[in-house]
Amino acid sequence: MKHIALGLCLALACVAAHAGGNADRGQRLALVADPKDVKTAGGKGCAACHGAQGEKPSAPEQPVLAGQYYDYLVQALSDYQNGRRANAIMKGFAGQLSKQDIEDLAAWFSSQKTTRLHDQR
Amino acid sequence: MPRPFVQIFIAAALAFAAPLASAQDKPHASIESFHAQCIGCHGIPGYKTAFPVVYHVPKIAGQNPAYIVAALKAYKSGERSHPSMRGIAASLTEEEMKKLADYYGAPAK
Repeated sequence: MKHIALGLCLALACVAAHAGGNADRGQRLALVADPKDVKTAGGKGCAACHGAQGEKPSAPEQPVLAGQYYDYLVQALSDYQNGRRANAIMKGFAGQLSKQDIEDLAAWFSSQKTTRLHDQR
Repeated sequence: MPRPFVQIFIAAALAFAAPLASAQDKPHASIESFHAQCIGCHGIPGYKTAFPVVYHVPKIAGQNPAYIVAALKAYKSGERSHPSMRGIAASLTEEEMKKLADYYGAPAK
């Protein structure tokens, strides 16, 4: 019985970890890849327009991502990818992401502390 | 026509006419009435959509106002597809979108 309970706890922990994405990997994925800097290898370029933590959009019509809900970010990236959200720029960036990439990026941006985004006005 | 009926008729006519007159004064509903539509979903911490997919309704307080306008326009034009947001955005003029965006996008107090 103990073993079953332990197994269930482990299984649940795995599900929870998976559902949350890997923020550390997301941090690297958010970078702009620079051939001269190995630390940026594999970067998908988010930081260029949204800021490394998603807190400093480079243009006013781009959203703040820092502190946004994890599952909304997953939904947004998935919608860009499958065309439910029609945005030429984001379709290009989201199109190169795997499901895991999307979850990891969402984990990174959603876990950033921010003074900007709030639930309530 | 007996007098009481005339009075009732006039009262009824006025009752119907009054809302029409005020609607003509304000061709668009006040911005406050739109806030009421927004906070029903965006003003509740942790609130989730129910349809078509379940996820947290995004935080919009403190968001870039220009992005909020872009998002509302995209819902209105059909570039973004959420059914409730399409319905709400379709009822907004660009001026109303800007007013709402400035209100929600202002830095937190």
